[in-house]
Amino acid sequence: MTAPLQQVQDSSLVERIMAGDENALAALYDRYAGMLFAMLVRILRDASAAEEVLQDLFLQLWRGASRFDASRGSMAAWLLVIGRNRALSRLRGKERHEILADSEEFSIEAVPSPGNLENDAARAQLMQRLQGAMAALPSEQREAVELAYFEGMTQTEIAARVGCPLGTVKSRVRAAMQTLKQVFDDESTRQPGRL
Amino acid sequence: MNRHVNPEDSDLYALGALDGAEMQELEAHVRTCAQCAGEIDAARQRVALLGMAAPAVAPPARVKEALLRQVRAERIPEAHRAGVAKAERTDSGSRALRFAWLTPVFGVAAVIFAALAAGIWMKDSRDNRRIHELEGQLALAQTRSLEIARAADETDKLLGTPGTMRVALEQQAGWTSGRAGVLYNAKMGMVACSGWLPAPPEGKSYQLWLVPMEGKPVPLQVLSGGEWTQTLTAHVTPGMAAKAFAVTVEPKGGMPWPTGPKVLVGGVSQGE
Repeated sequence: MTAPLQQVQDSSLVERIMAGDENALAALYDRYAGMLFAMLVRILRDASAAEEVLQDLFLQLWRGASRFDASRGSMAAWLLVIGRNRALSRLRGKERHEILADSEEFSIEAVPSPGNLENDAARAQLMQRLQGAMAALPSEQREAVELAYFEGMTQTEIAARVGCPLGTVKSRVRAAMQTLKQVFDDESTRQPGRL
Repeated sequence: MNRHVNPEDSDLYALGALDGAEMQELEAHVRTCAQCAGEIDAARQRVALLGMAAPAVAPPARVKEALLRQVRAERIPEAHRAGVAKAERTDSGSRALRFAWLTPVFGVAAVIFAALAAGIWMKDSRDNRRIHELEGQLALAQTRSLEIARAADETDKLLGTPGTMRVALEQQAGWTSGRAGVLYNAKMGMVACSGWLPAPPEGKSYQLWLVPMEGKPVPLQVLSGGEWTQTLTAHVTPGMAAKAFAVTVEPKGGMPWPTGPKVLVGGVSQGE
């Protein structure tokens, strides 16, 4: 008896995708599309554009699943990194074909991540904790991180936007990331052996 | 760059926020330093998952449907498609003579069928487009409502904190409509603004500024205009004394310093 696809590990789903199993792709989509779409809408501020990037992202996964190496990192982080890069490229006005033609993007170094993000409950818990931690950050720290992550601004652009010295921006990002690091560390402690 | 990477720079690098020269210098060092490469990896882990901090919004079902349709289309092997086409051509050739008399009948039927199908297709297409638009609007509305809720919380915090000042922004000569009010607490470094402005000129945005007692104006928010009535919040360096608040017209997306005409201005009474 085989396990339902919802319970199958990402690495096994990727193997099935490589064998041409579209149900495996659908299972990965169901697992990560909500998380990705939220990020894409936040970056692009355009639901139609976010839908397009989301669809392209999974289509590229279908075409190039062999490039994912589960031993080097998690699928969740991999998709978030690539999805963010694509959304920011689009936001900056790169031509669509430039983004889609960038097949090398799928060869980027895998990104390890804390916790078992393949599990719906664990993923939801981490999302909730991250959202809580972001909301609890001092507003200027949160703003600096959000401008960098969701708007793709450089530190110089952030400094100009918020009207403060470059060094202050660095300190704010540093302090915010230290706080958020605690969330990831706690999550790893909650799920020992799942790193 | 021979020294190790500063932890602050690891996070900024992972966020993609380092400027060109600094980024190249860091990358050159990391290529030869395993310790710093490890630091960068750890920063990348953390930063990658920041996307999960966006409140979840489910994508419309049609995205998955379209994806799977495209995947299925790609799975049909070229050879199979070529084989089908060849069989269809051969088969139709042998039957052509026997059923030649049916051609006009099928022709008329085909025209009627095509007209009906086109009508149904156009209606479906209109409906699908409408559903598509509504789902898109819903997703955006969900995101905006979360932002509005956050702005409302911050405004409550402002209103409940001693030292918060209220500034009314007045229309400037040459502008016929628009108004706004600002709440500002210098100690918290927090600003909330609400009001109404007409739609901005083509290719332009409105931008709200804090004019400090000393130094250059600080950009706060880019305002869309039109139906802008909800409260927007922004943050500045705590302790900054304000002389005035102003809204100007700037190139779309805003500028780091004011370049366009003032639409609304409100001076801060020095007694506050």
